[in-house]
Amino acid sequence: MTTLPLPNNQATTADDILKTAESLRWEVGRDFHERLMEDVYTEAAQLADRAVTYPQQKPRFDLDRTIDRIVTSRLWGFPMMILLFTLVFWITISGANVPSGWLATLLVDMGHPFLKGLADGIGLPWWLSGLLIDGIYLAAAWVTSVMLPPMAIFFPLFTLLEDFGYLPRVAFNLDNMFKKSGAHGKQALSMMMGFGCNAAGVVATRVIDSPRERLIAIITNNFALCNGRWPTQILIATLFIGSTVPAYLAGLVSALAVVSVALLGVMLSFAVSWGLSRTVLKGEVSTFSLELPPYRPPRVWQTIYTSMIDRTLFVLWRALVFAVPAGAVIWLVANVQIGGLSLAEYIINFLNPLGLLLGLNGVILLAYIVAIPANEIVIPTILMLTVLVTGSAGGSGAGVMFELDSNAETMALFTAGGWTLLTAVNLMLFSLIHNPCSTTIYTIYKETGSRKWTAVAALLPVAMGFLITFLVAHSGLF
Amino acid sequence: MAPFVTTLILLGLLLVVGWPEVGLWARWQRVQHLTERVMQEDALKYIHKCEMKGETPNLEGVAGTLHIGRNETAVLLDKMQQSDLLQTKDGQMHLTPDGRKTALHIIRAHRLWEHHLAQETGYAETEWHGKADRREHELSPEDLSDLAARLGNPTHDPHGDPIPTAEGEVGQHGGRPLTEQPLDTSLQIVHLEDEPDTVYAQLVAEGLYPGMRLRLIENGTQRVRFWADGDEHMLAPIIASNISVSTAPAEAAHVHEDVRLLSGVGVGETAVVSQISPLCRGAERRRFMDLGILPGTVIKAEMRSPSGDPTAYRIRGAVIALRQEQSNLIYVKQA
Repeated sequence: MTTLPLPNNQATTADDILKTAESLRWEVGRDFHERLMEDVYTEAAQLADRAVTYPQQKPRFDLDRTIDRIVTSRLWGFPMMILLFTLVFWITISGANVPSGWLATLLVDMGHPFLKGLADGIGLPWWLSGLLIDGIYLAAAWVTSVMLPPMAIFFPLFTLLEDFGYLPRVAFNLDNMFKKSGAHGKQALSMMMGFGCNAAGVVATRVIDSPRERLIAIITNNFALCNGRWPTQILIATLFIGSTVPAYLAGLVSALAVVSVALLGVMLSFAVSWGLSRTVLKGEVSTFSLELPPYRPPRVWQTIYTSMIDRTLFVLWRALVFAVPAGAVIWLVANVQIGGLSLAEYIINFLNPLGLLLGLNGVILLAYIVAIPANEIVIPTILMLTVLVTGSAGGSGAGVMFELDSNAETMALFTAGGWTLLTAVNLMLFSLIHNPCSTTIYTIYKETGSRKWTAVAALLPVAMGFLITFLVAHSGLF
Repeated sequence: MAPFVTTLILLGLLLVVGWPEVGLWARWQRVQHLTERVMQEDALKYIHKCEMKGETPNLEGVAGTLHIGRNETAVLLDKMQQSDLLQTKDGQMHLTPDGRKTALHIIRAHRLWEHHLAQETGYAETEWHGKADRREHELSPEDLSDLAARLGNPTHDPHGDPIPTAEGEVGQHGGRPLTEQPLDTSLQIVHLEDEPDTVYAQLVAEGLYPGMRLRLIENGTQRVRFWADGDEHMLAPIIASNISVSTAPAEAAHVHEDVRLLSGVGVGETAVVSQISPLCRGAERRRFMDLGILPGTVIKAEMRSPSGDPTAYRIRGAVIALRQEQSNLIYVKQA
């Protein structure tokens, strides 16, 4: 053992050393950690500057700046942005209609009767074929046909823009607007992604590297009206809002109603961001920085492949995993009977007072409970439950979700269920402002790793939805 | 209309109960918090502070600090004497060794927690003191040694106050009030008093921080003017007396009069980083360093967002956008 190079060797004990260290603490200066770290960084940077040489890349850089000057110019920045995103949404909506129809015909109109026939052929008991085919298979088929085509178009387009380097410039242009509500400019991107699918939107918040702003983006992503909720909005707006005006205005007015709901969602997401950043999230660490990477030619095939695998199939798989038990539950509540009444009817009677207080009804609330796994099956579930409760003709039997071919038939069913204009407006509002689907909730948990923030993200919108529908119901407007 | 009125009443009730800070729920929580132990600890802290300043603690002072009546204070102090935290000698209150130990523990808790808030959270500077005032009563000595270890055993809190060690040793900031200094010498801020809140808020608004170099220009009864970090500052003397300074170390004797803020660099201009402001702490400071914003780095302002903010800078070959609050934290020199 070597002796310590300290004076008075024989008297040097551990305590003495600690005492010397303790007294030296006060002399090294209060910020020596910071200074040390800064020196290490500076030294490293100088070493790198001496040792690393860069090949000539000035022309590339000038080209990038030229593109930047156009896409972030005061004159062209915003119009270009609006044009590009309108184009992306238009391609998605018009392009997805046709394959969605094919899938629905194949999986629902043809697949379902075929499987039922097969089940009867091999003599499956009615309850087993009901649970498996009417419940589970139909839920999965519905989710696939509504969800897959738009996502398979939207995600690759979005990823192409990302790959080219345009999306960070959008965040750069819009950052000031988001800053005012305490959010990060890149929230514009996760929000846009949320219009496709909230679960994908939540994953997309990974690009936000500041912890506080990322949580804000995750919690408010649900206010971007997702692909699964657009059909509900369009159907209800067409049936109820469009019919309040002369026929030649109906299309325009119902389209405006849907767009207003989507815009209300955007405004709510700003308002909630503002509220969160000033209350519960005030103490979270915030470090803004936004890198504007160099532009590069998009790698088309690679992008399409990875966005199909990473985003589309990933989200679809997660949605199917959750839709399967939902299908089973929907079939069971409609078919399990106690004393002559189905479970669904008991629950609906129980929920009715609350539903009517909110300007909705028990059927809608039950549909939203059993359809937590996927917003896509809300309307088919509502229709099935309405037939069950009113005893109207139509439908395909208890627990079998369906949609009607003509709007007139659907409207007749809703009228029989006691729906009014208020029910329709509040259903549109509640469809925008309620808990995220379970796929999204699970994704939020995966991304934040925190039960607390997952609970906030799930419960805050429901509470807001109850409050807002309640206020509308009692505002005296309807 | 009746349901509408009911709705409004319900909503009103909700606000009365739930409003942050003044709502019933918040008030109830505060009352719960003001237990006798907390009051005793606050009294000990006050008496310790008086002793450090060489002043005589008295009953009125304790009552004023705790916002309670004189009679209540007398009862409280009596109890503290019985539990051997205080003793009275020649009509004066003194801390017993136990009392001093508790007082130092609370001060250590307060200052460590402020350091934690500064380094590891996003709370604004003006909120640190109030939050630490509440948290200081809830931390055990074991909590504190864990916290100190995690923070790298800091010696001073963000205001420049020394943090007592676990053994109860405490250094001095060694500064003198700014208002007692001669003109035109190179000085360095060593401490900013964080009480009362309103005065501290003004010091924060001026962008002052411990370690800042300055030079007095005017020291009158009406106003105090000084030059610091490339900017002239003016304060009322009563506010300036809450700043403690010492003579700046010789090697850093020059005051940076040619430095300016990165936010002042126009698009197309180039500048060289002089330092990251010490006001920039914790994660944000590390992020800047990760990006390569270090003394000597050349920065060029490339373009500004069409909405006016943020601005994109070219830093070590990468283009990074920073918001104005952030470019206000970086000092640069002429290239």
